[in-house]
Amino acid sequence: MISSPTRYRSILALVAAGLILVVAPGAFAAIQGVTGTSFNLVARQDRITLGDGDSMLMWGYANGAGRMQYPGPTLILQQGVPVTVKLTNQLPAAAGNVSIVFPGHQVTAVGGVSGVLTREAVVGDPEGVTYAFTPTEPGTYIYHSGTRMDLQVEMGLVGAIIVRSTTASTSGCPNLGAAFNNLAGGDPRCLETKYAYNHAGTGYHREFLFFQTDLDPKLHRLVEFGRFNRIDTTEGFATCWFLNGRNFPDTLAEAGVPWLPTQPYNCSPIMRPGETILVRMVTATRDPHPLHFHGNHVRVIARDGRMLSSGPGNGPDLSFENYTVIGNPGQTVDALFTWTGEGMGWDIYGHAPGDPEQPYEVLADHGTPFPVVLPARDDLVLGQFYSGSPFMGSQGSLPPGHPGLNAAGGFFFMWHSHTEKELSNNNIFPGGLITLLNVVPWTAELPVE
Amino acid sequence: MGKMRGSGIVVLVSALLLVSGAALAQNLMVQCPGDTDGDMIPDLPGYENVVCKHVTAGDGYAVMPDGKLMYTFGFSEVPAGTTEPRVFAERQLKAEFTGPHIVLREGDELYLNLTNVGMVARPDLFDAHSVHWHGIPNQGSIFDGLPESAPTVVIGATFPYYYSTAGRPGTYFYHCHVEVSEHMQMGMVGALDVLPAQDGTPIGGFTKFAYNDGDGSTGYDVSKTLILAGFDSNFHDKHIRVQPLPFADMLDDYHTINGRGYPDTINPNPLGSVPENNNHFSQKHDSVITVNQNQRLLLRIANISTTHLFTVRVLGIPMKVVGLDAKLLRNGATDLYFDTDSVTVSGGQAADVLLDTTNVAPGTYFFYTTNVGELINGGEERGGMMTEIVVCPPGGCA
Repeated sequence: MISSPTRYRSILALVAAGLILVVAPGAFAAIQGVTGTSFNLVARQDRITLGDGDSMLMWGYANGAGRMQYPGPTLILQQGVPVTVKLTNQLPAAAGNVSIVFPGHQVTAVGGVSGVLTREAVVGDPEGVTYAFTPTEPGTYIYHSGTRMDLQVEMGLVGAIIVRSTTASTSGCPNLGAAFNNLAGGDPRCLETKYAYNHAGTGYHREFLFFQTDLDPKLHRLVEFGRFNRIDTTEGFATCWFLNGRNFPDTLAEAGVPWLPTQPYNCSPIMRPGETILVRMVTATRDPHPLHFHGNHVRVIARDGRMLSSGPGNGPDLSFENYTVIGNPGQTVDALFTWTGEGMGWDIYGHAPGDPEQPYEVLADHGTPFPVVLPARDDLVLGQFYSGSPFMGSQGSLPPGHPGLNAAGGFFFMWHSHTEKELSNNNIFPGGLITLLNVVPWTAELPVE
Repeated sequence: MGKMRGSGIVVLVSALLLVSGAALAQNLMVQCPGDTDGDMIPDLPGYENVVCKHVTAGDGYAVMPDGKLMYTFGFSEVPAGTTEPRVFAERQLKAEFTGPHIVLREGDELYLNLTNVGMVARPDLFDAHSVHWHGIPNQGSIFDGLPESAPTVVIGATFPYYYSTAGRPGTYFYHCHVEVSEHMQMGMVGALDVLPAQDGTPIGGFTKFAYNDGDGSTGYDVSKTLILAGFDSNFHDKHIRVQPLPFADMLDDYHTINGRGYPDTINPNPLGSVPENNNHFSQKHDSVITVNQNQRLLLRIANISTTHLFTVRVLGIPMKVVGLDAKLLRNGATDLYFDTDSVTVSGGQAADVLLDTTNVAPGTYFFYTTNVGELINGGEERGGMMTEIVVCPPGGCA
């Protein structure tokens, strides 16, 4: 049961997201972030917009002169290349000192004042603290405030670090074996294979960040009203859940949209059959969140920036497959996902036996008829991402009023928290920790990564 | 099987259609290829691997061990031979918690027909329903049950789901994905096991296995599927009182295994029959586990709670985890099995756990959540997520 105003608002938001999908498909690419070796982060106070339309006071990290963002800027580093991160504190005086810790790295800190975990930046001090480290291992990491963490991380002082491996990308098309219609090695449509870690078993074509956070509005309101003596974080009870700083359906909107100025990152994975996605999952929450992957299993290849490996040169030989991955507070997970439709037992393109095959089509199912007769349209509720056809790349008839958000005839799969209460925005369903993977046919136009 | 379908025209079977012609009963069109006599069992050659089921989705009631009546949504299986005009009359208010336990053999093709019979106690609702086979590899959107990307079925109509199981043994479950936080909290969940093709072949002293291990290392003598789930009584009470639903406050206070809290878990009889659901047994699945000493027990443990992760333990019998999320724990030739005394299963996860009772003294052993605060049935202590494993002497219990 959904109350109608809520349903209406959600649909509007989905329509907005869908229009962007259709009009400007160029913005899905890769992971947004800042690169370089010298970063200038500034802690500031600002506001974010929740999926239910509410506005929430936050503290967060800004990239230099920019606005605070939630989560903080994703720092994209190179393995072995030293970096410095200068932090200054422009939070309100009541927020007190602020700092950054970098789990997984050996850090030296200079300037500021001594704190419990690391050196801290004092409000208004233009010199701040400078942290320096060399990321020795590739992978996905978290950074967050090391000061009064129970409140400051909740308030938004948290971000992701990606350390790129030293292994060079390779060109060529995936060869999935004789069961598939592999593209020829030099086909220009194929993306380069990049390597999350320094081993061939960690290759991927597209990568997406899944930064999981949650929020208790009560705490943020007490901060906003200056009632610091009333704040008791032991009573925190999250009612809003985020992927890359946004609630569903805002997760699907384009990155950098002007109406979400402090939530620049989206979470809108997309792929073509036979490609491999790298899921970079970071969890910075009060509670663990089980992320469930519709469509297929993922292979978990690393935790906390360390490949699941029995020893040097062995690659991710301790990796395993899950259909749901627990994101534990403060941890990161890297996982690989691919989709072909293998084993479904029918031709996903609706081919007749003599038709030409699609790239990475499952040859055994070529021309195998669709196994059921679908009910009449009036017997069905048609989801906004249903194309009207069960076949990939096809369209079918849709009733008047259907938003038609699946212009490419893709297969949409939900990736979401399986603690299902987290699919809401402060008591409003649907929302929260949801996004949709879109598997699109090779005939669709996609951005170059 | 695909080739056998030839022209691609599915044999649509319903007793009514055969008798009265195709003009009637458009809405309740149950599909079972190869079935010629309407018993949902294929008769024609070439359809030996086809398994047909007819399941309804609607509302009903369950009863907690402390007597608390819980309004629910759920699934229920339509007995073979129920003619389609009778489905509505006979299957309303028969929601079960947990739903029908589906067991398939690898290689089966499942035609799962879902009829939406509506919510009798909430006639103001017109929700669609669906089946999401949780965890099936390489699914297509059309049969994924996701209301955003697939058709879902309105009250009075039937949707045919098709699933191929070749290469897909393991422990799964299914649930409705429409308005999923609500419908799952309300009870629309059920167990789904796919037995491996290796079953029946003697390997390592066993003929039943969790997976196609090739070496008998996942072999077992006795198995039990344990679905961990729960109810937030506040949510269910507000639901039947037609109040705004408390999503933000949702927190289960009744914790169950296979739809029952302890001690109902060890009651071998069907439960949940009350006047409110026309005396339908809405809680059919016990968690009674009996094994003989020196036998191996497989527990298929899945968590479908909408609010809780659970760690579970068997007091006195160590665990060996051999599978997670319907995958054998093996990478190449290397087993990644691990020995443990407890296993954590989040919402949406499943674990395959072997218990070896070699030299385990006959007696009663407890399976329970070590989240000990959840050993409750609402306000009643010494209940909740717990059941008993009875280890009998080698020859069996008297």
